[in-house]
Amino acid sequence: MADIQKQFEEFNDVVRLKQYEHNANLREKRDVILKKLKERLKVLFEERDDDLPKYTHFDQGSYKLGTGVKPLTGDFDIDVGLLFEVDRDEYRDPVVVKQWVYDALDGHTKKVEMRRPCVTVFYQNGEEPLYHVDLAVYSAADSNFDNKICVGKGKQGSPPENCIWEEADPDGLITVLTGKYSGDDWEQFRRCLRYLKRWKDLKFPTAGNAAPVGIGLTIAAYNWFYPKQKIVDNYAGQTRTDDLGALLDFANAMLCNFNLVFRDGEYAERIEAKLPVVPYGDVFEKMSNQYMTKFKEKLQKLVAVMEEAMKEADPVEACKKLQKVFGDDFPVPERDDTGAKRGPAIITSSHSA
Amino acid sequence: MSSGICFCNSQGGLFKIGENALLQMRAYVQDDPGKAEAGGVLLGRFIVDSADIVVDQVTIPMPGDKRSRHRFFREAKNHQAMIDRRWNQSKHRCNYLGGWHTHPEPNPTASKTDIRDWKRALRQNQFDSETLYFVIVGTQEVSAWEGNRHTRLIKELMSIPDQEN
Ligand SMILES: [Zn+2]
Repeated sequence: MADIQKQFEEFNDVVRLKQYEHNANLREKRDVILKKLKERLKVLFEERDDDLPKYTHFDQGSYKLGTGVKPLTGDFDIDVGLLFEVDRDEYRDPVVVKQWVYDALDGHTKKVEMRRPCVTVFYQNGEEPLYHVDLAVYSAADSNFDNKICVGKGKQGSPPENCIWEEADPDGLITVLTGKYSGDDWEQFRRCLRYLKRWKDLKFPTAGNAAPVGIGLTIAAYNWFYPKQKIVDNYAGQTRTDDLGALLDFANAMLCNFNLVFRDGEYAERIEAKLPVVPYGDVFEKMSNQYMTKFKEKLQKLVAVMEEAMKEADPVEACKKLQKVFGDDFPVPERDDTGAKRGPAIITSSHSA
Repeated sequence: MSSGICFCNSQGGLFKIGENALLQMRAYVQDDPGKAEAGGVLLGRFIVDSADIVVDQVTIPMPGDKRSRHRFFREAKNHQAMIDRRWNQSKHRCNYLGGWHTHPEPNPTASKTDIRDWKRALRQNQFDSETLYFVIVGTQEVSAWEGNRHTRLIKELMSIPDQEN
């Protein structure tokens, strides 16, 4: 039917968030924080007449994978991992280490918060959020007898049982995810993931755990996405990249993986996205049954619209339909641009009955 | 909302009558004994990189045409002017696709006169495609035929039911 791969690729160009190496703006913001952190930690430990444990930083999240999308609100999210050379036997409470980071950056902007998984620095223009930097604190493998990397969970005031070092494998996760596909297939994987993330940003409330987390969609894609080409010429065996088909198959595969489970005193249809590395947990765990139901319904709607678009002969109408699920950044071509150029016609008079 | 009617064409693609074109033609439905037959030409797109064809607009009865209850005569001149205008405006992307007319019956079938006229059009008209399309608007259904310029065979097209939603 209508070939709208060009429109999908234009959409991708608009929504994609460039990785650090191509995005000086975000890179600078990250580096400002890291510089500040370095200076302030030095001062803090000097004041205490103590030695600052060594640490290094690494990029994590969608920047590392290059699967990020531009936020709708302008609230960019920068993820940084801080790997401290601290022994967990010595620093049993991760909040102590997180507190160093918090104290070093507190006052740097109007709002700095210690949250359970990270320390977050918010940048605002008045009340309008501009971006925030999430700094996750890790204890390095080399500093521990068991040679495990752990991420510090917990915040000030949390009960001790919630302040834990949780085993993690940030490098391993990236290696596993990037290892599944390469070349054009990897590019299609990333494009389709971006389309789905933009849909998520548009269709779900941002507060709480109403929306499926980005890493969950990424793991779902790792599990159920398959690259797709469509045959355009049976005889010549000619094929063309088919993002619409690939995303439709992926969304359908996700729907097939909702299973009835008993949770919170009731049966509910839920989908799991288990980390392929330690701690192997389901990253959709925090979504309530109610939010899960909404997630499924919205996916069904997405599938229905994509199926309609696929049947549509007119690329203009197909793209208008897709705009309803992917938003105004999805381009609709000019009608005349979608017609092939043909030579002149000369008609004769005609009789009908 | 976009609605329209879709048929399967012989190239493995779709022949779609867009909403706008459909509304233009349906304005002439012969649902009353006082209404005369109407017709015109089909204008639209050969969708790039596909076998799909979309009718975007039609010409409607114009001065010089002759209309009666069971006959319609389409004088070429004014319809030709419209074809030329749209073809030029669209930089040659909006093209002549065939013709249409109305019938005062629910499920229209092609008359002998119609078939003869369509074959004549395939032979005498100049057009840059392998096929022409012919649409008859009945009081309930809309039917479409495809004519091949080489074989001059006329084939009724199968409609795709659930397109209008
Ligand atoms: Zn007729």
